[in-house]
Amino acid sequence: MRVVIGEDQALMRHGLTLVLERAGFEIVANAADAEDVVRKTAAHRPDLLVTDIRMPPTNTDDGLRAAIEVRSRVPGLPVLVLSQYLQRDYAVELLESGDEGVGYLLKQRVADVDRFVADLHRVVAGGTVLDPEVVAAMVGRHRAEEDPVALLTDRQREVLELMAQGRSNAAIAAELGVSEKAIVRHTSNIYDELGLGSSPDDHRRVLAVVRFLSA
Amino acid sequence: MSRGVPARRLTLVLGAAQVAAAALLLGFVELALLFWGPAPHPPWVAGLFVAGAWIYAGAGVIAWLRRPGSLMGLLMTAGAFVWLAAGLFNTTVPVLVALGLIVTTLPIALVIHLLLAFPSGRLRTRAARVTVLAAYATALIGQVPRYIFAPGGPLQVEDAPGLVEAGTWVQRSVGAVVVAATCILLWRRLRALAPAQRRVLAPLSIYGIFAVLLIPVTSGIGDVIGAPLTQAAVQLMVLALVPVAFVVGAGRGGFARTGEVDELGTLLGDGGRTELADLLRATLGDGTVELLFRVPGAAGWVNSAGVGAIPPTASGRRGVAPVELAGETIGAIVYDATLLTRPDEVRDAARVVALALDRERLAVELRVSRARLVEAGDAERRRISRDLHDGLQSRLVLLAVQAGVTEGTSPELRAGLEAAIDELRDLVHGVMPAELTERGLPAAVKGLADRMPIGVVLAVEGFEERPAPAVESTAFFVTAEAMVNAVKHARATELTVTLARDAERLGIDVRDDGIGGAGAGNGIRSMTDRVEALGGVLRIESAVGAGTLVHVELPCAS
Repeated sequence: MRVVIGEDQALMRHGLTLVLERAGFEIVANAADAEDVVRKTAAHRPDLLVTDIRMPPTNTDDGLRAAIEVRSRVPGLPVLVLSQYLQRDYAVELLESGDEGVGYLLKQRVADVDRFVADLHRVVAGGTVLDPEVVAAMVGRHRAEEDPVALLTDRQREVLELMAQGRSNAAIAAELGVSEKAIVRHTSNIYDELGLGSSPDDHRRVLAVVRFLSA
Repeated sequence: MSRGVPARRLTLVLGAAQVAAAALLLGFVELALLFWGPAPHPPWVAGLFVAGAWIYAGAGVIAWLRRPGSLMGLLMTAGAFVWLAAGLFNTTVPVLVALGLIVTTLPIALVIHLLLAFPSGRLRTRAARVTVLAAYATALIGQVPRYIFAPGGPLQVEDAPGLVEAGTWVQRSVGAVVVAATCILLWRRLRALAPAQRRVLAPLSIYGIFAVLLIPVTSGIGDVIGAPLTQAAVQLMVLALVPVAFVVGAGRGGFARTGEVDELGTLLGDGGRTELADLLRATLGDGTVELLFRVPGAAGWVNSAGVGAIPPTASGRRGVAPVELAGETIGAIVYDATLLTRPDEVRDAARVVALALDRERLAVELRVSRARLVEAGDAERRRISRDLHDGLQSRLVLLAVQAGVTEGTSPELRAGLEAAIDELRDLVHGVMPAELTERGLPAAVKGLADRMPIGVVLAVEGFEERPAPAVESTAFFVTAEAMVNAVKHARATELTVTLARDAERLGIDVRDDGIGGAGAGNGIRSMTDRVEALGGVLRIESAVGAGTLVHVELPCAS
């Protein structure tokens, strides 16, 4: 699998290269600023783009802008963005750029190599990966407000939280120590509560996560 | 003499009282002459002159005491004696009647003088001086034919009714020109005034013009006695009420009471309870007075808020009096040059306040340097935070990755590295959160709210442009401190955070529903220091059982 890395810091780029190579990716290009990311991704058509959010020229959220730009040019291109700090807005914007093959993680998650590699594969496979801290913040937030998510039972929220992290039903069932059938029942109740009618399950799954994040 | 009434003030009061007493006494003497002598006119008509004189004396004394720096009081008091003299032609004593005849129309000239001299008591322009001079000439010289050619008077030289008529015609014509000139001058001055002063001066000028016009239009004041009695009474009262209008006008703001420069010294000794600028405003009777301070360093001139100001130069209506101490310029008083009688009055005040201004200058300087310290400290925090993140944190992540991809690395080593990364991240966040530097205050507080274990309702208003970095980081640290306190100490279950920014101020409200009764802990004290260093205020409302409100306001004019 081919990957483009967007990272202007040498140390982080070196770390990412190590992890990606070990996971069997071929690094086709390194980009050092936002424009470079867009150009090289368009030129190489990789299977995955991994980019830092903070990039030149403004050293704020240029990497995110580039990722969104890339996804508008190459719809569905899997993108994983890394961030020094968590901003809910970033995750929401990213998910709005298309609901398949996106990931949003803290930079430091790279350090947990095995888990990070698993997350990479999930994004390449079209899944959604969100940093557990973003998700945890959402849970606290939803408790405070009158919204459909607040009406979910604790167990339903737990399931939604894990869905937001990009876990499959089987993985969630294993994590919570219940049967996969029970999880399917929970997810369908969650869709009902959030008013997500009948549509393909994968799509509803992402919609539920977006609802969860942006409410 | 550190307390009580200064000597000069005492002299002033005594002097005013003597003058008032003299006017009162002479008035009684004149009334006695009118009532007991074989007066040719009904004595109550003549009595109106005495009443007018008393009104002038009373108004003059009040004006004199309220604004010793202005000549208005003196002019009005002098007017009282003119009125007494004018009333004398009703008596039967020849020499007094002669005096009365000479000054009969002088009260009209006096009203013109008062109108053009208000509020300082000085005639500022050449045109005003010429007009007033012409008014007095018309009243005194123009009157001559009317008593030397008129029959029956003590000053009669020849009986020539034709000449009396001609003289009266000349006096009226010249008088009309003088009145017209007065109206033009008053109109021009009104237009040049600031709206607040115009509101005060306009009704006054209109009344004055009305009073001056009324007499020549209806009849000469000398004809009062021959006119119907009610008309005479109305004319006299209209003229007599002019000084009352001035006193009311002077008290209606815009031309506030002034004290004496000498008094300043006493007031300055009252422990600095009053702002120096306010004291000067009261003393000089000028609400627009501003103080500027000269501070060392690049800033040069600053105002009392420590904000850099343009070096003061006198221009148009703004006058500037430098304040010097030991030969060095330490500040300046900026005042309304159109309002004050004498510029040297401000210079006197500048000398008196020099020491106090120097003290205030040091306070301002301290504030400026505290703000600089906060700014420098924050810049350093930003640098450290960036260096830690880009350097140490990245290096640790790389180490962890290397440990992760190397076969046989102990799980403890990996876990330890991850823990170190977490700790470092918290540290970097505490030093200066990257989201604050990169995305500004609302985003950083939003991130903070997301990490709170309790619900946070956040309202943000007006942050289209980012405030100065020191204001932004101070606002963030104070908000964070208040939010953390609410969770740690107040046992709150919900927080309401409001951030509002306009052109002048950044306001922060952090309100919780906790137990209240919060004292100022170390955290809040250092936050208060930070806020005050930037010229802001921090207030805590925390009644037991009623939750806690932390309110912060920071100046952020850019």
